[in-house]
Amino acid sequence: MRVSVGGGRARSRMVVLILGFLAISGCGHETKVTRVDTGVVTDLSGRWNDTDSRMVAESMVTEALNYPWLDTFSQSKHRQPVVVVGTVLNNSHEHINVQTFVTDLERELTNSQKVTFVAGKGERDEVRNERKEQAMYAREDTQKAPGKEIGADYMMKGTIATILDEADGTTAMFYQVDLQMVDLESNAKVWFGQKKIKKVVEKKRTVF
Amino acid sequence: MCRQSLLAGSFAALIAGCGPPVSHYLLVENSLRVSDFQQADAAVRQAEKEYGTKSLVLYGMDRGMTLQLAGDYQQSNLVLERSEEEVDRLYTRTVRTETAAFLTSDTTLPYEGDPYEQVMINVLKALNYAMSGEWQDALVEARRLDHRLNVLSDRVKDKGAYREDGYARYLTGILYESTGDINNAFIAYRKAYETYESTRAWSKTGLPVQLKRDLLRTADALHLSQELIDYQRAFPDVSWLSIQEQQQLAQVVLISYNGRAPRKEDQFLDLPISLDALQLVLLNRGIAQSNRYQNRAADSILYGLNGRVVRVALPRLVPQKTQVPVDTLTLVSDGEARVTARTELVQNVTALADKALSERMAGITVKALARAALKFSLAEGATRGAQQAAGKDAAPWVGLAVGLLTKGLAVASEEADKRSWRTLPDEIHLARLWVPAGQYHVQSPIFAGVDSRSGRTLSLAAGGTVILVQRVVQ
Repeated sequence: MRVSVGGGRARSRMVVLILGFLAISGCGHETKVTRVDTGVVTDLSGRWNDTDSRMVAESMVTEALNYPWLDTFSQSKHRQPVVVVGTVLNNSHEHINVQTFVTDLERELTNSQKVTFVAGKGERDEVRNERKEQAMYAREDTQKAPGKEIGADYMMKGTIATILDEADGTTAMFYQVDLQMVDLESNAKVWFGQKKIKKVVEKKRTVF
Repeated sequence: MCRQSLLAGSFAALIAGCGPPVSHYLLVENSLRVSDFQQADAAVRQAEKEYGTKSLVLYGMDRGMTLQLAGDYQQSNLVLERSEEEVDRLYTRTVRTETAAFLTSDTTLPYEGDPYEQVMINVLKALNYAMSGEWQDALVEARRLDHRLNVLSDRVKDKGAYREDGYARYLTGILYESTGDINNAFIAYRKAYETYESTRAWSKTGLPVQLKRDLLRTADALHLSQELIDYQRAFPDVSWLSIQEQQQLAQVVLISYNGRAPRKEDQFLDLPISLDALQLVLLNRGIAQSNRYQNRAADSILYGLNGRVVRVALPRLVPQKTQVPVDTLTLVSDGEARVTARTELVQNVTALADKALSERMAGITVKALARAALKFSLAEGATRGAQQAAGKDAAPWVGLAVGLLTKGLAVASEEADKRSWRTLPDEIHLARLWVPAGQYHVQSPIFAGVDSRSGRTLSLAAGGTVILVQRVVQ
């Protein structure tokens, strides 16, 4: 009789344990959303992300504006150089949204107050169309005349390239961003900047 | 006897529900056969629940193909990207899932695809980007393919195994050359050449003549004099246009998906462990003629009652060979001039699937045998335990009931993993054609994403490339 009671208790404990396990195992699927500051570094997959884009743009523009070409130009022409951002070619293994990076570059250049920044090719077309429409539909005293655009002195262009190395679940991701400032009159490269980022992503083969 | 009949009847009713679901692949194939790609995609989309969480990769693969054929390249890339990310995630295996699969069947494991299928994810994505005119993104996929194949080559030491992909390399070469990167194009063509040569024995794919021309042209353009001499010696009868001549022309690349990829089915091995069990297996085989999935319920009851038969399920490949040996692509200009190119076999998907399965078969068999032995031991233990617990009088029928249930379930639950990327074709053919710039009307069977009745008109610019994909299910 005692044995039977003991067996019953053991079974009850087992049932409680199993139910507990099932309850806990169900908790893993809950979605959790946390708001974080946009400056917080969030390396989730190891791929190129917003932090990389922002950090590279900031450091490279700062570096570009600290080089002598800027002072040389300002002293000789007595004005700020006019810069346009050209093509940044994606030569990497990832589908990087290059436009985000270009926007970061444009923001840094504009906010530096050391150069005059003019709209790039795509934006120019839109602005020119607007002027054409103004010529047709806007009041004459508010129309903006064509032929008054500021021509750029320099074009900033570059590439984003990657080198990947992977073995046994460990991936070394090497990003190299090359930017150059080209004199639009002489084709001379007045500045050449390079920023490298290296990340190591380790994946476990087995987990419990 | 009455109890036994009742028990057997209940058990039959229980496992009758274990039959295979009506395959949506029939609907997909029927839609592909009549070139209704939207309907084919709808059939895959509606079956999303059938795929379940364990086959997310497979769902993305199947839909990626049907969406490409339907001309929705952006959506196709979206689902293929998800599949690729899932493949990366599945690199990490969980002990819990592996254990569950060992105790039940491999179908409970998440499907990560064979290596050639993983390569095909990037191939399809590259084509989607190229057909959308997003050539830089197509090159991203070319670089990913290069990386994927390099990692595969490092991991697979057996040189006779699938560790390179001739078609994937060849396609990346075409993408590089189309964007003016002759150096990388030459390297890709050379790797494709080496791969086609080294895998000829099992890939059932010869070296495409067009690839020979591509090697000669790019080696010449890069002034690689020694390589050019070597290739001229290797391909003495092949003529080619120089890069300078070709850059004045427009290129059309036709990729033809012919036939249906092979499917997999269960191959049941019934292992008797007593003389009467051997007689039962032989008798059952004689009546049923084959070890088909449809006979599984009856087999489970028979073997469950006998209690001395262990069933092992292994996957078997069923080829579905295409009847289309070659396609032609004809471009008719506004001036009624006709230019025709014949496609060549560049990828035999059935051969790749066969190779992939044969490479994994030893591991699958060992695992299946161990699983079957474990299931039998557990069933035997449960039967004896139940008999002892029931006492002397009830032991015979309790033993029979528990034995039928546990051993029958062990037989019924045995199932091979038959998942594979079935929206792939049996063979992939390719043709490259260079024509003067201008307007052309395309004359070829069915083009993916295009209304076949109205045909297709191409506006070709000098130095430009247009990629066309067609699907022929015959």
